[in-house]
Amino acid sequence: MCELYSKQDTLELRRKHIGPSCKVFFAADPIKIVRAQRQYMFDERGERYLDCINNVAHVGHCHPEVVKAAVKQMELLNTNSRFLHDNIVEYARRLVATLPEKLSVCYFTNSGSEANDLALRLARQFRGHQDVITLDHAYHGHLSSLIEISPYKFRKGKDVKKAFVHVAPTPDTYRGKYREDHADPASAYADEVKEIIKEAHNNGRKIAAFIAESMQSCGGQIIPPAGYFQKVAEYVHRAEGVFIADEVQVGFGRVGKHFWSFQMHGEDFVPDIVTMGKPMGNGHPMACVVTTKEIAEAFSSSGMEYFNTYGGNPVSSAVGLAVLNIIENEDLQGNAIRVGDYLTELLNKLKAKHTLIGEIRGIGLFIGIDLVKDRQKRTPATEEAQHIIYKMKEKRVLLSADGPHRNVLKIKPPMCFTEEDAKFMVDQLDEILTVLEEGIGAQSESVISENAPCRAKMPKEAHSREWLDDGTLDPRENPSRKRNGLCTDKHSLLSKRLKT
Amino acid sequence: PFPARETAGRCSLPVGHCHPLVVRAAHGQNQMLNTNSRYLHDNIVDYAQRLSETLPEKLCVFYFLNSGSEANDLALRLARQYTGHWDVVVLDHAYHGHLSSLIDISPYKFRDLDGQKEWVHVAPLPDTYRGLYREDHPNPAGAYASEVQRVVNNVQEKGRKIAAFFVESLPSVAGQIIPPAGYFPEVAEHIHRAGGLFVADEIQVGFGRVGKHFWAFQLQGEDFVPDIVTMGKSIGNGHPVACVATTQAVARAFEATGVEYFNTFGGSPVSCAVGLAVLDVLEKEQLRAHAASVGSVLMELLRQQKAKHPIIGDVRGIGLFIGVDLIKDTATRTPATEEANYVVSRLKENYILLSTDGPGRNVLKFKPPMCFSVDNARHVVAKMDTILTDMEKKVRSCETLRLRP
Repeated sequence: MCELYSKQDTLELRRKHIGPSCKVFFAADPIKIVRAQRQYMFDERGERYLDCINNVAHVGHCHPEVVKAAVKQMELLNTNSRFLHDNIVEYARRLVATLPEKLSVCYFTNSGSEANDLALRLARQFRGHQDVITLDHAYHGHLSSLIEISPYKFRKGKDVKKAFVHVAPTPDTYRGKYREDHADPASAYADEVKEIIKEAHNNGRKIAAFIAESMQSCGGQIIPPAGYFQKVAEYVHRAEGVFIADEVQVGFGRVGKHFWSFQMHGEDFVPDIVTMGKPMGNGHPMACVVTTKEIAEAFSSSGMEYFNTYGGNPVSSAVGLAVLNIIENEDLQGNAIRVGDYLTELLNKLKAKHTLIGEIRGIGLFIGIDLVKDRQKRTPATEEAQHIIYKMKEKRVLLSADGPHRNVLKIKPPMCFTEEDAKFMVDQLDEILTVLEEGIGAQSESVISENAPCRAKMPKEAHSREWLDDGTLDPRENPSRKRNGLCTDKHSLLSKRLKT
Repeated sequence: PFPARETAGRCSLPVGHCHPLVVRAAHGQNQMLNTNSRYLHDNIVDYAQRLSETLPEKLCVFYFLNSGSEANDLALRLARQYTGHWDVVVLDHAYHGHLSSLIDISPYKFRDLDGQKEWVHVAPLPDTYRGLYREDHPNPAGAYASEVQRVVNNVQEKGRKIAAFFVESLPSVAGQIIPPAGYFPEVAEHIHRAGGLFVADEIQVGFGRVGKHFWAFQLQGEDFVPDIVTMGKSIGNGHPVACVATTQAVARAFEATGVEYFNTFGGSPVSCAVGLAVLDVLEKEQLRAHAASVGSVLMELLRQQKAKHPIIGDVRGIGLFIGVDLIKDTATRTPATEEANYVVSRLKENYILLSTDGPGRNVLKFKPPMCFSVDNARHVVAKMDTILTDMEKKVRSCETLRLRP
């Protein structure tokens, strides 16, 4: 493999020139990836990793048909949407065909963040309302307007919740307000939204939109209970607001049975605005907002043009079309069902074996493993989760941890993931969990608590690995991370020792 | 096999539509790897390094994104985080992007939409042809900069604090405006004194378009360095790429919030390969020098047209960034809006693509691909000449000058 810089130099240059807020996975020992195919990534030494993280490479890294579609169009024309072109209209037609009938108007953008920002603009323009109801732990993007509606972000930073943002409890039946033992969690959670609307109205405020990821990913692979969206939509519509379904992480057949995750909730549920991104172009920067004619007309009635320089360009549209074709031709939805079911089955067996696993939840190839220190209390096993992803990396399996407590192992691999991959992944996890549990068992019971310094608490072998950062700093939520400075200093010493 | 069509009004393609080197770079990388910036990769660091070489030394930290709009939004977040302030000063008729946050700081947009927010303050556009202080003023740069000082004072009197002054290095949508030299450094002084940062939006005009320099802000003096520079459009020859460059201090303040900045597609190996290819082509084909020479030929030809046709009020520009300001009346300089529209539609019939801009929609905008040739320039001007001559013949009869439905 021909590298321009050695890994060390790459890292040095990165430290020098790339904004430090841009984090790398496994910060203590980052990976340099130089090549990828299907669900595998290769580092600079040619080591192969199984990628369980990257839902963006939806049809598989560097899929030849997508690459071909892109180059063909790049050689011909790549210009903006102010000129007529077949690709954009054909792509819009094909996209709309996957959606319920009333969702028929497309706006093409370059990123999920741009799409969500436009969705907000559409919602606000529609009736002139301003307020937005969002879910706790939601993440809708990195733009100013979206940080404001993403508790996952604004709770961590210096930002304060804005008055026009209302946070509803996330419909998490495992760790949320109403759990699996509740008679009707869907209604209970929906009633929370009803209350919020009532309160807002009492304060003279008007709801523009309710926005939710069809399944929260950063929030910990949360699947809302059936009936929740319908009821919420009812309340929101009554308040003359619109329902925005953010499918940026989970669209394009990931759940297997349906093309869009919101479709799991039934034929009678149709959002007013749907946003999509990430997997849409298999890595090519593209995204989209689809909405109703009514909302689109209200938006254009201001007379103000919406122009996105790159959105809807012929190359992006060609890439999008190629991805749609592959999903169909390779029956990736079918694969997601088969492999997803198999993987879930294996994981449930693992759960029976390991008490660290509190819950397995998921659908299709969107799965979460909720790790707990205590099954009764469901205390998030944050450090354990971090430890596990590092160990999995050593075994050449890439996994990430998320959720507000960073304790949920997220599985959302390229859709060509196989049963063999699933078995391999679970086998590695099994080994690691076994060793981890033995290590924990060997120490005294009071040892693993959230308030103790990190180095004393992990199993002995964990001392030999460096402290981690899988991408999101969270000094307030993770108590052991309060000692981040200490841990980092400590680990850089450790790492020096390791290298000799 | 294609008829001779020319594009004089599109600047997203600095090195020319479908340039084979750029296509090859994208294709090559697409076959190898296209993933996110959470993994180490050579392209992103190489690209950052190459970009840093084009900029003043202190602008050495980069964030990669997908669009100019995303870049300007991040610039806003960076400025606010660094200064701890909230308010923004912008120029009249500015356009910084289509996101909610940017409509708020784009008078070109907000005047027709939600109106001006209380944290946005508008300074007069330093337009020496149609603005407050014109070409006959002894020191327009100083005069316009004083206007900014006035705005700043006003803001502070209200107890508000300035996070940033946002400006397109050459306001494009406002009508191809070239701010007088010295304006930026003076404004920066006022803004810095108020605790704010200077953000230069190079999205329309960066990457050598002005010929004389790589970045348009460099026209404002060797010593002038913005605190944040945003780039887009031409950066990837049409591929969705954009970038924010800033200082270590600003970057560190942003990191200190403890909140990660992750952009799914920004800084991907393919985007960076494309960016690098564009830099390579600009260098190999010496497009910056080319822009300077073709630009000056075009300006000269247009000036000759101005001497000939009274409808041309002003010809202004630098490199391949030129505006032809059409007026109804030399004394009042009233924008010739319908006439400009008509000229553009007649040019289209002649297979020449031009657009208009400016608040009066009367400025013919030239910002073609940088490979635009002297022949192209002669051809466009010749056609314009014919059309303007034709219009003048018919102007005596109002009916004939009516626009086609």
